[in-house]
Amino acid sequence: MHHSIELENIHARFGHVPVLDGVTILASPCEFVAVVGANGAGKTTLLKITNGTVRAEQGSAKVLGYDLSRSDHCHRVRKDIGLVPQRTISHRFPISVEEAVLMGRYGKIGLMRRPGKADRDKAGVSMEAVGILPLSKKLVHELSGGQQQKVALARALAQEPSILLLDEPTTYLDADSSSEIMDTIHTIHHERRLTTLLVSHDPQWIDQYCNKIYLLKDGKSSLIRG
Amino acid sequence: MGVGQLLTYPFMQHAVLAVLFAGIAFPLIGVFILSLNLIPLRFAMMHVALLGGAVGLFLRVDPLFLGLLFCGLSSLVLGPVSEKTKVGLGALSGYLMTLTLAIAFILFYKANIHVVQAFSILWGSILSLTFWDLVLVILVSLLILGLVVFFFKEIQAILYDREVALAVGLPERRLYYVMVFILGLTIAASMRMIGALLIDAFVLLPAIAANLVSRNLKQVFLFSSAFGVISGMGGLYLALVFDLPTSSTIILVASVIIGICFIYQRRRVFYGKKMAA
Repeated sequence: MHHSIELENIHARFGHVPVLDGVTILASPCEFVAVVGANGAGKTTLLKITNGTVRAEQGSAKVLGYDLSRSDHCHRVRKDIGLVPQRTISHRFPISVEEAVLMGRYGKIGLMRRPGKADRDKAGVSMEAVGILPLSKKLVHELSGGQQQKVALARALAQEPSILLLDEPTTYLDADSSSEIMDTIHTIHHERRLTTLLVSHDPQWIDQYCNKIYLLKDGKSSLIRG
Repeated sequence: MGVGQLLTYPFMQHAVLAVLFAGIAFPLIGVFILSLNLIPLRFAMMHVALLGGAVGLFLRVDPLFLGLLFCGLSSLVLGPVSEKTKVGLGALSGYLMTLTLAIAFILFYKANIHVVQAFSILWGSILSLTFWDLVLVILVSLLILGLVVFFFKEIQAILYDREVALAVGLPERRLYYVMVFILGLTIAASMRMIGALLIDAFVLLPAIAANLVSRNLKQVFLFSSAFGVISGMGGLYLALVFDLPTSSTIILVASVIIGICFIYQRRRVFYGKKMAA
């Protein structure tokens, strides 16, 4: 069967410490897959391998048919993967929600080209999809944690990705915000027919949304549902 | 002699043109330094330039040329080396800073170079710029302006978050290395004008002030340039009128601008809270 994400027997280190020791994760098109594991289990490393920003030491990593052992394939595939990183957005300079979401278009626009009306429209559609269109002129650092998470999600969607990667999307959120963001992600996953890979240390918000759940423990993966 | 009459002299024309170009362009590098936390790299570059000067004095080659060459070469390799070794730019800059200083001192000692002569590179002089110094400042300024104008969106993404820039599919690493390289050239070019110890007058202080009053990156860049020109020209004017060291007066004007921007920012926050209440 053809998979959107095909990570097989992946080995990786964080510094000198081995974190992934023969991990296999498979995700079919339009599937919602979760990887759960304790902090430090290598979940973020796994996502970085999936979007080609970190190379696996051993094993085969294929995403959308691209072999991620090749640099040109990594660069190509990143444009089709929306990533919502774990940490909160840095505030090195003031930036509006609209500008932050528009960044999702930058890889597809090409070097030295300015975003056009079509790109702004796509950013607008993404903001609407996650419910932050009324906040578009606000500065990102003035928003709550949940709203900032939605900005990151809207930016990832503005890329018009085939795959959505989510790194602990509920970590810094309270129960209401966590539930709200997971509902939003789930709706978008279905509407846009995305392949979604979510990693989390907290299975509480995952169970009801996912087709398949892997457990990451002691560097190994095991399929616990699906 | 009036300021107008002074402007008829080539050395004065060189100074005014250098301040104008550097005032517009160099603070843009200050925005990079602040956003990417490259302050240790800036210190390292100053010491690399000192080593270049020491080698120049030792070999009887123009010390400023070698300072520029050393800065250019080290900033070219520093970015990739810090990423490949995973040491981090801060730690690597600290290593480079102490190593270059140690080698420079050995050269001074062995070549019997007078310490004042050796350290002249640290304080520069804007009124003694040659035609070719001016050309160098203009070239580096145009390079910075070209980078910011043509790669604005890429730079915006990198300054916002390097991980995001990479994730959306930009060639983040290559662009980051270019930014670090141009930073090295800017530090070297600034040294001839204002001296290594007071580089912040042109590079960092206008960017700090602009960060206080801006609402987006475009404004940060525009205000940085405006404040750079105002502090450069204002400082030069005050130095001539009151017969003071130019570097110091430029710093003083830049510091007053920061003070004004800080008061403006506090008032904006205060009235913003009042309106919200």
